[in-house]
Amino acid sequence: MRDLKAVAVADAPSKWMRFRVFLLGALFLSLLGGIMAKAVHLQVVQTGWLRDMAEDQYVRQIDIPARRGDVFDRRGTPLAQSVEVDSIWIDPSSSTNLAATARALAKPLGLDREELAARLVKARRFAWVKRQATPAEVAAVTALEIEGVGFTKEPRRFYPQRELAAQLIGLVGTDGRGLDGLEKAFDDVLTGQASQLSGFRDAKGRKLLTYGLDAPLERQGASVTLTLDRQLQYVTEKALGRAVEEAKATAGMAVVLDPKTGQVLALANFPRFNPNALDAGNSGALRNRAALDTFEPGSTFKSFVVAAALEEKEVKEDDAFFCENGSWAVGRHTIHDSHPHAWLTAQKILQVSSNIGAAKVAQALGRDRLVDYYARFGFGERAGLALPGEGRGSVPYPKADITFATQAFGQGLTATAVQVAAAYGALANGGVLMRPYVVARVVDPDGLMLVDNRPVEVRRVVSERTARQVVAMLETVVEKEGTAPRARMDEYRVAGKTGTAQKADPVAKGYSDKRIASFVGLVPAEDPRAVILIVVDEPKTDVYGGLVAAPAFKEIAAEAMPYLGVPPSRPTVATSAPVPAERPGEPIDPPEALRSAMVGPAKGPLAAAFAKLETSETVTDTAGEGSVTVPDLSGQVGRAAVVRLLGVALEPRLSGSGRVVSQTPPAGTLVEKGTWVTLQLASRQ
Amino acid sequence: MATGSPRGSARVAPPAVDPILLGAVLSLVTLGLVMVYSSSAVTAQDRLGDSFHYLWRQLTAAGLGLVAMAVALRVGYRRVARFAYPVLVVAVLLLVAVLVPGLGTMVGGAKRWIRFPGVSIQPAEVAKLAWVVYLSYSLAKKREKVALFSIGFLPHLAVAGFLVVLCMLEPDFGSAVTLLFLMFILLFAAGTKLSYLVGSVLAVIPFAYTAIIRSPYRFARWSAFLDPWANRRGSGYQVTESLMSIGSGGLWGLGLGDGRQKLFFLPEAHTDFIFSIIGEELGLAGVALVVTLYGVIVWRGIRAALAASEPFGTYLALGITSAIGFQAVVNMAVAMGLAPTKGLTLPFISYGGSSLIVLMGAAGLLLSVAAGSPAAGNARGAERQARNAREVSADLEAA
Repeated sequence: MRDLKAVAVADAPSKWMRFRVFLLGALFLSLLGGIMAKAVHLQVVQTGWLRDMAEDQYVRQIDIPARRGDVFDRRGTPLAQSVEVDSIWIDPSSSTNLAATARALAKPLGLDREELAARLVKARRFAWVKRQATPAEVAAVTALEIEGVGFTKEPRRFYPQRELAAQLIGLVGTDGRGLDGLEKAFDDVLTGQASQLSGFRDAKGRKLLTYGLDAPLERQGASVTLTLDRQLQYVTEKALGRAVEEAKATAGMAVVLDPKTGQVLALANFPRFNPNALDAGNSGALRNRAALDTFEPGSTFKSFVVAAALEEKEVKEDDAFFCENGSWAVGRHTIHDSHPHAWLTAQKILQVSSNIGAAKVAQALGRDRLVDYYARFGFGERAGLALPGEGRGSVPYPKADITFATQAFGQGLTATAVQVAAAYGALANGGVLMRPYVVARVVDPDGLMLVDNRPVEVRRVVSERTARQVVAMLETVVEKEGTAPRARMDEYRVAGKTGTAQKADPVAKGYSDKRIASFVGLVPAEDPRAVILIVVDEPKTDVYGGLVAAPAFKEIAAEAMPYLGVPPSRPTVATSAPVPAERPGEPIDPPEALRSAMVGPAKGPLAAAFAKLETSETVTDTAGEGSVTVPDLSGQVGRAAVVRLLGVALEPRLSGSGRVVSQTPPAGTLVEKGTWVTLQLASRQ
Repeated sequence: MATGSPRGSARVAPPAVDPILLGAVLSLVTLGLVMVYSSSAVTAQDRLGDSFHYLWRQLTAAGLGLVAMAVALRVGYRRVARFAYPVLVVAVLLLVAVLVPGLGTMVGGAKRWIRFPGVSIQPAEVAKLAWVVYLSYSLAKKREKVALFSIGFLPHLAVAGFLVVLCMLEPDFGSAVTLLFLMFILLFAAGTKLSYLVGSVLAVIPFAYTAIIRSPYRFARWSAFLDPWANRRGSGYQVTESLMSIGSGGLWGLGLGDGRQKLFFLPEAHTDFIFSIIGEELGLAGVALVVTLYGVIVWRGIRAALAASEPFGTYLALGITSAIGFQAVVNMAVAMGLAPTKGLTLPFISYGGSSLIVLMGAAGLLLSVAAGSPAAGNARGAERQARNAREVSADLEAA
């Protein structure tokens, strides 16, 4: 049989063949030995760096972005918040036909197909399709069921009050960084700390947090509480908007300032924009001109000249200045008054706003002291709002006679609206300039106070006596003979000053016929609680501040005074009752006669307030709705306590960190809105 | 037929199985099943939605492999000799069929599978065993004439060339190299003059060179082999990922199932690069176990070859042992950057039904050789018989 030849026993392997087979076996065993040696080399000698190399590719620092902190007004109303929205991304490597994928995705998302396709081709493993998509877009893309498409939550900034204080608050880019305004100035604290986790990741870049890692400890951004009051801001923006539109002006700005503290209660710019729905067209509206831009303020500066001259005793109240009957030649130039006057006292100069008179007062003062006093009122130095790009303004030394003269009525120098308001705040505050500020507090999520701005005295500019004199003079401005009778209010005494400045023409190197009309008012004049500055840029119908800006002042003041709980200067309710001798605005201790007269049949708001007075000694507010009960905050974390206090319009003042262990005043106390509540915090041991 | 064998009457007794060899093979298969699951679960879940997909298929193949092994053992290697030609013809037909458009399935730029509903066959795996059986038979039949160039060398070289060309058409460089290597091993054992072998190797070098140079992917593999870290993001990707894998394992490994490289970093983690996952998850200890098991197979296989009562058994045992050993060594060498990427699987361990079934069948034949003559009744008798036979042939040679 043929087969048997191969399997015949007689053909057993030869010795030589056995040797060869043995040799081959030895060869294989030595090869396996070599394999083993290499394995030892890799797994013992080189294991360290090979493991590092491997970990380098699957251990990824995964950034978990922190929630951006909120911005509140002084009463805890959110002005800027962060919400989570879906962003759509794709792993282009999972798609076989990128063009088709791009086409499918572009349609429901309203994207440019070719641009998207180009982006997808460029990216290897990750590309944004659309960031911060709407829920409808997410649903549409989900329905497409395209492989490799993913969604991720990204925080998006939302401004619940829309246009309100939008220029001040600023904007946040899609990358979560502040672009402008407070969002930029406080970007670091608002951003918080994106926690970095060492997470495992597969080759497709997906997060795999399955290896017993700790829960993400993202650190939320701190919250920023402003001195701004939503209500006053709203009123101010509304009044400013009306003033600008009625005057057919190009723009406007307004500042409401608490002269005692320097707190900016409202900071408005017109035109407005909605930060939730930006369009490229209104980029000019984004600028916070009131704080950033300088302008030649005009006649509002005369008050400072008069104050300086009075302080230096160069001018007495009854000194009269010859006002050249409305036309005065200074060198090659001529200064005009709007109405010719002969002899005017300092009070009259302010009342009728005589340029010539102001210039003569300034001459009595001298150049050095004029410039010095302007500087003392805070001009030429940044007001210190800590806003990026805040204007400084400049007061150049007046070498020329004409410059010296014009500087006396606020031309030939520049200032920001906030600076002007703050300087008037000094007059309103008994001669002490307070540093203006918009950010009250920055509190991190644990209740730690990062920034706690308190009223800061910059300097005493003039004596209290001088300040009172000037404010009294300014009261005459709103009288019938003054330049701003439209600012006069029935219930409150108003001191104010108009300004109608010529705008410098940057092209022609002279002054154009364009004007900046302004009015700055202190109210109530006897103890000012607010400085209100209205600036209207390039009014067309009328150019005078008394006509264009003063009504807006009155509108704001009329709403702000009751809101701030300021008692009327001239009581209109109980006309028969004697006006209390005490300065209104201070805690009122009503005379016994008045109290008995009020309690009983007469049921006005005052009566209700007095009724409350009897129940608690700490009630200091004459308006019933102005007092609140201090909540019990013990055991709460700092942030919760702060939110709680802000919610009832109380001002938190924190020390320490952790949870509240004690509070002053104690819980249940009836106090005035805006009262400081001091909280002692301690961490649990 | 069976009656033709000298002691056919004793075949009722079950063949004495080499327990060490059998244990080594079954250990490798079992380890393979575990590692196939560990290395493929994530990919399978991701691609197919069923993490057990590859495990079930491999389990099925292992079951069929056990049957093949039992059948081979039962039938006995001697009777396989008469199927040498038919099996070779079938292998050639399969190798041709895989090239026919519509029959062969293109995967990753190569046609290596014939896909039937439910099963797919890799003809090259079948061809390797068929080639060993044919060569063993042919060499044993030609006896001392194998030393002659025209009888012992040229015809085998011609058949080998034919098979190699078919493999290269797929293309399957790794299988082609394996076929050539097995031929050299067996020709060397059979006593072919070394000058022929060395000469033919030198002759092949230019062809291999052009094959590498002219094929971009082979050239890339070659350059990746020379310096994988320089081409880490490109052609060296697989090798560097594999090196990082094995290196991460250290002495004791990251623990079974805890490897990270299989998370899509390492392509073909459950097939060609399963050794890397073993190194990563089981560490040097696991690698040592695998190497030892292959060492045991080589040891017992060579022992069986030496103990075989006739040259066919010797050649067959040597060929099968070499096929297993060669692929194992090359696969591990590739995984550790010692050899350029070939596409050879790790015998008994890598995922792949054709390979597993054929290899287990081959292991059955190897066990059959190790069991010696079925007629011997016991191993010692067979050995004595073989010794007698050796003395006879030694006398013949001396004469």
